[in-house]
Amino acid sequence: MKCSKCGNPKVIIKREQSGQLLCKDCFIESIEKKVIKTVRKEKLLDKGDKVLVALSGGKDSVTTLEILNSFRKMNVIDICAVTVDEGIDNYRQDGVDIAIRHAKRLGIEHKVVSLKDEYGITLDEIMQRENHKGSCSYCGVFRRTIINKAAREMGATKIATGHNLDDEVQAIMMNYLEGNTDNLTKLGAKTESKAEEFTVKIKPLREIPEREIGIYVVAKELEVHFDSCPYAMQSFRGEVSEVINQLAEKHPTIKYSTLRGYDKIKGILKDGLEKDYAHGRCEKCGEPSANRLCKACSFLEELGCD
Amino acid sequence: MSFILKYKSMEEKRDLPNDDYTIKDLLDDMDLSPQTIVSKQNGDLVIEDTVINDGDEIQLVQIIYGG
Ligand code: SF4
Ligand SMILES: [Zn+2]
Ligand SMILES: [Zn+2]
Repeated sequence: MKCSKCGNPKVIIKREQSGQLLCKDCFIESIEKKVIKTVRKEKLLDKGDKVLVALSGGKDSVTTLEILNSFRKMNVIDICAVTVDEGIDNYRQDGVDIAIRHAKRLGIEHKVVSLKDEYGITLDEIMQRENHKGSCSYCGVFRRTIINKAAREMGATKIATGHNLDDEVQAIMMNYLEGNTDNLTKLGAKTESKAEEFTVKIKPLREIPEREIGIYVVAKELEVHFDSCPYAMQSFRGEVSEVINQLAEKHPTIKYSTLRGYDKIKGILKDGLEKDYAHGRCEKCGEPSANRLCKACSFLEELGCD
Repeated sequence: MSFILKYKSMEEKRDLPNDDYTIKDLLDDMDLSPQTIVSKQNGDLVIEDTVINDGDEIQLVQIIYGG
């Protein structure tokens, strides 16, 4: 067995989708090239951008930071990072520490924001409440709000997240299966909100399979937090992901074709289905919101944290 | 004929059942999905088709977690 590119016999991956065999150096190069290609093709970066990386310390966000940093080294963009500490005992601290070390190593502006400091309550405390709505609902909403706010405070022009091919394909299928056409129009490599308070979001890893990101960080010996959240449980997303992975075993190109197909119909979906943007503002915090209160503020009200 | 297996905080000596025992066979025996694991043989990343030799150190790293 030899690397399909350079002939090196030390092969580290066999790509089922193409039959390609790659050695460590050729694999690392292929991932970085592919991300750079996505950045160019989708016009994710403009010269002079200040990109805020949502840095959890997990493999996806660390890889996003690592590859975007090559644009920083070429003086195309500036980078800063934010890490949200949800307050999950015996789980979150390792990721936070790893994020801090990466930011230091690269010498970038970095901020850690905890739910406790921001809202006076941790996710663990929320989960003690009798009628909570499930950890991931709070986690997602609060994280998004904190990241959007950090982007404004740090003067970022883009927010980069670590969404990978598997995440994106799961989102496409989930929204389709649930008939959630509104959310279906919002996916893609670059999400622009019409509300100018919302910074443009980019997903540079959108075409990289999750497994390949895992191999990339191990091959590059990047320090990342590999662990599962104690609250992670059987979710609809998990079930959809299982089905897609099962299908991918016999049909290894299926994730790519789902993504390509979506990208082809996305424009039509947007034209036909996109809702008018709500010009309202949250009464409490001023964030753009269709209702009296934004999601974060209405959760806080229910929790009695105001 | 044996090898050292490292997985999470566990380290143990395991017998090699036959000459062409691969990492894929090991993952099957441990009921682990090759989709979520990468393997190192004596410190180098390798693919699952790799045959485990007498005296090897095999390290398994879980790279995909739910949540
Ligand atoms: S799995 Fe854990 S970290 Fe992920 S969204 Fe849910 S609660 Fe938050
Ligand atoms: Zn090679
Ligand atoms: Zn609000």
